[in-house]
Amino acid sequence: MLPSILLFAFFVWAPLFENIRLSLYDAQGIRTIKFVGFENYIRVFSHPSFWPAFRNTFYYIFWSLLLGFWIPIIIASLITETLYFKGLFRVGVYFPNILPGLASVMLWGFFFRPGKTGVLNILLDKIGIEPFTWLTTPGWTIPLIVLTLTWKAAGSTALIYMAAISNINQDLYEAATIDGASPFKRFLHIMLPSILSLGKTLLILQIIAVFQILYEPLVMTNGGPNNASISIMQLVYKYAFQDYNYPMAAALSVLICIVLVALTLLYFKVTKNVDDAN
Amino acid sequence: MRKSKLLSILIAAMLIMGLLAGCSSDSNTDTTEATTAADATQATTQAVEKAVLKLGIWPEDTNPNEVALHEGYAEVFRQAHPDVELVPANYKYATDTFVSLAEAGNLPTIFETWFTEPQKLIKGGFVRDITDILEERGWLDDINPSIRTLLSDSNGRVYGIPRDGYALGLMLNVELFEQAGLVNADGSIQYPKTWQEVAEMGKKIKDATGSAGLVILAKDNAGGWHFSNIAWNFGADLTTTDADGKFHANLNSPEAIAAMEYVKSLRWEYDILTADPTNEDWGTGFVNLGTGAAAMYIGANDAVNQPTETNGLPVDKLALVPMPAGPGGQYSLSGGTPYMFSADATDAEVNAALDYLEIMGKAPVVTDDAIAGMKADAEYRVNAGIPVIPRFPAWTNPELLAAEQAIIDEYSNIDLKLFNDYFTATKTEGNLKLEEEGATQDMYAQLTNVLQAVLTDKNADVTSLMNTANTNYQGILDSGLNK
Repeated sequence: MLPSILLFAFFVWAPLFENIRLSLYDAQGIRTIKFVGFENYIRVFSHPSFWPAFRNTFYYIFWSLLLGFWIPIIIASLITETLYFKGLFRVGVYFPNILPGLASVMLWGFFFRPGKTGVLNILLDKIGIEPFTWLTTPGWTIPLIVLTLTWKAAGSTALIYMAAISNINQDLYEAATIDGASPFKRFLHIMLPSILSLGKTLLILQIIAVFQILYEPLVMTNGGPNNASISIMQLVYKYAFQDYNYPMAAALSVLICIVLVALTLLYFKVTKNVDDAN
Repeated sequence: MRKSKLLSILIAAMLIMGLLAGCSSDSNTDTTEATTAADATQATTQAVEKAVLKLGIWPEDTNPNEVALHEGYAEVFRQAHPDVELVPANYKYATDTFVSLAEAGNLPTIFETWFTEPQKLIKGGFVRDITDILEERGWLDDINPSIRTLLSDSNGRVYGIPRDGYALGLMLNVELFEQAGLVNADGSIQYPKTWQEVAEMGKKIKDATGSAGLVILAKDNAGGWHFSNIAWNFGADLTTTDADGKFHANLNSPEAIAAMEYVKSLRWEYDILTADPTNEDWGTGFVNLGTGAAAMYIGANDAVNQPTETNGLPVDKLALVPMPAGPGGQYSLSGGTPYMFSADATDAEVNAALDYLEIMGKAPVVTDDAIAGMKADAEYRVNAGIPVIPRFPAWTNPELLAAEQAIIDEYSNIDLKLFNDYFTATKTEGNLKLEEEGATQDMYAQLTNVLQAVLTDKNADVTSLMNTANTNYQGILDSGLNK
């Protein structure tokens, strides 16, 4: 009991409280000078990059739910239904996960380079299509970044779903097959309900993770063009490590925390109502 | 069970209170400057026995030639200062490591930082006030006055000394100019004197060689930094100050908009830029120039090692010419790369560091050691293929400048014609301009956003983008400096 309390206090609670305290102070470096109340929060809100970053973060979540949430489920169900080379496919989808995060982001950077030297543009050129500007087209930036995220992370999430699917009682499948249910029907009526609760947890985890997206836009676009892909964590990074303005970084972190707690509560309330209705 | 739960809550509460108490007592000691000063003098008396000079300016191990050069300096230093322990502690300034090092008290005694950083470091209390020490040594009034401003706080206290001064100019890859036939009858190269000529010559080079004509940066704040110089030459004044000392953003003046329209035309009309300006930063600019992927790049005298030594351009194929003129005149943005000192350094340690700079020949004194140091540096440059050119006058005492000139003449490894116009232009009265005042980095960030927009969108509306940037920048000024 005591060791775990000590660990929690040292690694979780202390930094958390210290962060909240710091956000209410004026500071030199991380040495607090005087109490300023909510001034840092007001400055965070009035910074011209705040609303673009806040809005973008929700775009990231939107696209990651559209692309990133369903793809692992589809991969998992397809691989489960596969009869031959199952192991090969399992390893295959997990493969991108072995790459270090930064390496994969930089690799995709080479793919998306505009002009004639980008890998995708070289491929387009082979079939006679003009080079495209990829990440530097504001409307495409966030979906493309989410695509690289999905490419990297979908495999590991799919493995978790596969584990859940393998726990489903095989008798159900047998019965359904005997009754003449198609693979799609089996997916809809057996598999989906069984992995629903797991899906809910993964969904909220995904939202929390994507809300904190940092290094992908930092490396691929540095938040550009013209703030089109700047994320809220990138602003925290900018305050802390470029401006050395730790109180503002702390204030923004507290705001992120509040938003995430609110989203989580809302989510559980909504899903609980749905469950109750069921 | 209930008892143990209560106990654990109590323990947790005590822990938290302990931690908070610990933090508050910390900040108390930090805010009492007087105590720190007293500590410092106490430390000085202790340091008489053995001061420790941690040299952050020691070169990286990956560069054995430069390490050998410094071994030589260190040998001279140790003989003159048997009471000082010299510790090589290579530190390459980086924003993500700096604060942790400083707060942990592990900053080297002396380190180099970027020209953008001094004000931030002074405000953060990370660096030491060395005014009195400089005064004692008689160096204070030798610092080039404009660079001194950059290294001082609002009370005129000085926190650093210049390693180099710099003024932006245009660096050229001579090979590409030759390949494009931009050569005069006497064999010298033609170079652009105005921004209009930059666009035209850039086009010729791109057509003839396939390499980009010019590198424009648009990845980070360096984009706004370079752009501010272009804008001045179009006649813009990006920030103004009123009688109350309040700053006013002026990013949407017709001149600034014209400058941005010009940059836009480089991409969409002349098409002479590298493939993705939004991915070009200070370093990749030199890669492009040095490897022949681009012919022109805004650069300064203190970075001539970048295209040559770092990126392989032969030393005689680099030219540095004046910043091209625009409709508003011809200005060169100037500043200085500073040496700064850890806030924890004692007087003895700072003095030891300054003595080491004397041996390197980077101080405003002309001693035998200093001359030997300058010669060693020139020799190193010759061997590494870096142009031996005058330093920008970071110090103003005449005997130092004369000694430097003599060494440069002796070791010259370049055709001076490729650099002369640059040095002539920057010596012209009124040519040098310091960075804009105000929240400069925030202004650069706003300008970089506009650059990204106009370089990626053919239909971008420059005026409305500059209006937005102006409103944003004014907001930042009002919520910070204008309060």
